[in-house]
Amino acid sequence: MKDCTPGRIGNEAMNSIAYIIIQLIVTLLAAPLVGGLIKKVKALTQKRKGAPVLQMYFDLYKLLQKTSVVSEVSSWIYKAAPYIVFATALTGALLVPVSTKIVPVLIPGDFIMLVSILALGRFFMMAAALDTASTFGGMGSSREAMISSLIEPSILVALFTVGLLSGSTSLPRMMQTVQVTGFPFAHPVYMMVGLALLIIIIAETSRIPVDDPSTHLELTMVHEAMILEYSGRHLALLEYGAAVKQLVFVTLFVNIFIPHDQLIPFMGFGAVILSLLLYLLKVVLMAVVIALIEVNTVKFKLFSIPNLAALSFILAFLGILQFFILGGYHV
Amino acid sequence: MSENLSETLSVLILLSSFVLMANKRISSYIKSFRIQSMLIALAAGVMGVRSLLDEGRWDILIVCILIVVLKVIYIPGLLNRTYASVRYRVEKDFILNIPILVLVCCGLVVFSYFTLASIDGSSQGMSNMQLVNSISVIWIGLFFMISRKKALGQIIGFLVIENGLYITAMLATQGMPFIVDLGIFIDLVTFVLIMGMLTFRINDQFDSIDTDQLNNLKG
Repeated sequence: MKDCTPGRIGNEAMNSIAYIIIQLIVTLLAAPLVGGLIKKVKALTQKRKGAPVLQMYFDLYKLLQKTSVVSEVSSWIYKAAPYIVFATALTGALLVPVSTKIVPVLIPGDFIMLVSILALGRFFMMAAALDTASTFGGMGSSREAMISSLIEPSILVALFTVGLLSGSTSLPRMMQTVQVTGFPFAHPVYMMVGLALLIIIIAETSRIPVDDPSTHLELTMVHEAMILEYSGRHLALLEYGAAVKQLVFVTLFVNIFIPHDQLIPFMGFGAVILSLLLYLLKVVLMAVVIALIEVNTVKFKLFSIPNLAALSFILAFLGILQFFILGGYHV
Repeated sequence: MSENLSETLSVLILLSSFVLMANKRISSYIKSFRIQSMLIALAAGVMGVRSLLDEGRWDILIVCILIVVLKVIYIPGLLNRTYASVRYRVEKDFILNIPILVLVCCGLVVFSYFTLASIDGSSQGMSNMQLVNSISVIWIGLFFMISRKKALGQIIGFLVIENGLYITAMLATQGMPFIVDLGIFIDLVTFVLIMGMLTFRINDQFDSIDTDQLNNLKG
């Protein structure tokens, strides 16, 4: 304690506070945009005009002004779940840097913590869906439990592979290592892990081959079935939490597999702004890619989802296998 | 760069055999086989250009064109024609469910890694990884052959084994003698023609190309 000069502590703390503020503002503002873009691109491919890109902001604003209806047989879990889901999504967002030009100094945590935090949110969401004992809630919970238990191993294996390549489990360090590689998709290990993560993103964010986010059809819904009972402010928080979680996964993908910060040679405030603009460009690109995947596939039946999960696990596992066959070859 | 490209291609060829294993329908088997052959033609093309620039040899490029003509255009077309004429109702024809089949394939990759690592003098690093990938393609082709019941699936399994053998030989020797390549191709065409004919016969006799029904022949 005595050899820490006040000036340095002040600098580090300022750096971390700036990081937290920028990270939260960017995540909160950009999160509903991804869903809106996906819907817009889907509408355009179907020769429809579609809802405006900013529709989700209007929806959230409207929902936040309404009161929530809470069933009188429900317990505290039902009321706490929206806040926990939103808070865990935001905490997850703090662990995945949007730009490596601002690196957190005082925030510990790595991808294992990220996966666990998001799993906590998901647990409360499933518990709350079971709480009011409606039929759809239980159905949605059981489906979500199945999908998430199938997908979780492949997230961990995929991220462990990138962690092994960069020699660290911390997400900022992983992203900084990739920036040296240049074009990661030419490298076999990154290619496998990237494809695995693409499948994981689609499954985790309830996109079409796994779950259809735009319908309330009894046979297909997973995420919607769980939040069917909610209304008003609680619904807004759950929707916002889901959007933030989606952005967290998209950020993870684009910042690991399409690194951009090595293109900016200078440091300082301008670099951060430029880096954030490039980041938003990548997020838009990713949203278009997800939308095109959604347009070109059909929804799987529930019992075909293990095939998809097996494929993503195999991709991640082959990635780690190729890494060991390469003999600890660092890029 | 070209070293990196050929190792990426070798991983993609391995991946395409996993995709083949995860497929359910015979039309998608043929499609995946065609993609795998395209990747092999691409790998041969990369190697051919390199040998042309380094040593002035044309033969690998000619082999690459032969692969495109035979394995990408002719044989998948032949199989598609056979499939169209013996079309039957139920297409799902595997003995275990797909996740287990794919996981067993993963085990086969590990197995081929350990068998290769136990050989003394096997080269380390890049070429070792490419060798493991291509030998795994052979194992997966064999496993594909025994996991499918229909005759067409088994033909494709054999063709995948052949693809794996070809890519292993190409990687190990940096281009076989041209006459050996030609012999392999002629063998392959003969095999596919005979098997196509046999499939027609099985279909005539049993109204199905399910090879399990051949058990009826037992006395």
